[in-house]
Amino acid sequence: MYIDLHSHSVSSDDSRATVEQYVKWVQVLRDKRGCTIDGFVLTEHRKFDFDKDYSQLAAEYNVLIMKASELDTRCGHVLVYGVNEGLAKDIDLGDVKMDARELIKAARHHGAIAVPAHPGRFGIGLVEYMEQGETFPGLDIVERINGGSRAGENERADTLCRDHSYLGTGGSDAHLASHLGTCMTSFPTDIKNERQLVDALLAGDFTPVWLKDIQQNN
Amino acid sequence: MPDHNGPFFEDIDLGDEIGPIELVATDDNVANFCALWGNPMPNRFTSQEIAEKSGLPGPIVPGVMSMAIMSQALTDWAGPEALKDLDLVFRQPVPHNKPLLVSATITDTREEDGENLIECDVLMMGEAGERYVGGTAIIALPSNSE
Repeated sequence: MYIDLHSHSVSSDDSRATVEQYVKWVQVLRDKRGCTIDGFVLTEHRKFDFDKDYSQLAAEYNVLIMKASELDTRCGHVLVYGVNEGLAKDIDLGDVKMDARELIKAARHHGAIAVPAHPGRFGIGLVEYMEQGETFPGLDIVERINGGSRAGENERADTLCRDHSYLGTGGSDAHLASHLGTCMTSFPTDIKNERQLVDALLAGDFTPVWLKDIQQNN
Repeated sequence: MPDHNGPFFEDIDLGDEIGPIELVATDDNVANFCALWGNPMPNRFTSQEIAEKSGLPGPIVPGVMSMAIMSQALTDWAGPEALKDLDLVFRQPVPHNKPLLVSATITDTREEDGENLIECDVLMMGEAGERYVGGTAIIALPSNSE
C-alpha cells in the first residue's frame, strides 16, 4: 500500500486544502496520472481532531483517511501516529516547548509512535539538535523524505538514517491539495486504520517513495 | 465572447497546470512598487540595514507585491477580470534578485450562481524548491457556448 503519512487540512492554520479537495486530488492522481495512492494521514499541527470523522468521505472515494498529529517540540516537529485520549491527557498537544524525548516515551507508553518530521530541515530539524549533542533514546524512525524540503534537506535526513540506522518514512507535507502524494510510504501489509498503521511502523517493514518514481515503475 | 483570448471553461481539466512562469523581483522593481504603494523608503523591503535590524537576511519582496505577482500570473492566463478570490499563506520571506517560479494547478471545477468557476492551488517557489508563498485561487472562465 502507498500511504502519504504527512498532510495538513484546513484544520491546521497554515493549510488551504480541505479533506474533500484531497480525496478529489487522489482521483486525479489515479485516473488522470495513472498513480497508485491508497490513502493519506492528516497530521494536523499541534492538535488531534478527535471529533472529526472522515469515514463516509473515505468510503465514497475509496481512499483510506487516517488522523494523526504534528507536534512542536524543543527539538523540532514530531509526527505522532496512533494518538489517543490517554496520550492527549498526558501530553499537552499544543505545547510548543515540549521535550521531544518525553513525547517519544509517552507515545510508546500509550501505544502510539513518534516520528520526527523533516529532520534535515535547516535551522529547526532534528539533525541540528543532534549536532549540538542531543540524544533521543527510543527513537527508531524518522521522516526520511518530505515533499516540502528544500535542496539538501532530504539528503541530510538520508545521512541521519544511515549514521544512526534509523528507518525512514515518506510524506508530502501537503498544505495544498495538489501536493498530496508527492512522497509516500510503501507498506507490504494491508492497513485499514491508525492502530494497524502503528503496528506496521513498529514492524519496520516499509519504504519511503517518491510518487514520480513509482509512476515510472507502474 | 469575441475578445476573449484565454481559456474557456470547457477546455479545463482537473490537474491542468498553469506555468511555471519565471521572473525576478529586482531591487528596482521593489523600489518602484514601494513608491507606487506609498510606503516610505528606505524600509525593510529596500534597505539591507533596516532588513537586518528586523532579523531578515536582506531586503524582501513585500507580501502585497508577491500577491500582485501571483495575481498577474493568473489574470495573464485567464483574463483581467477573471480572478474572483486569492487566499495566500506567506511561508518564507521572498528574496530580491533571485528566480521566482509561479505556477498553479487546477484542483476543482464547478458551476455556481451562473458562473463557471475553477479552483486552483497557486504557488511561488524558489529555484531550490523553497515554497515561499502558497494558497488557492478561484477563477471565473467564460463558456465557449456563450
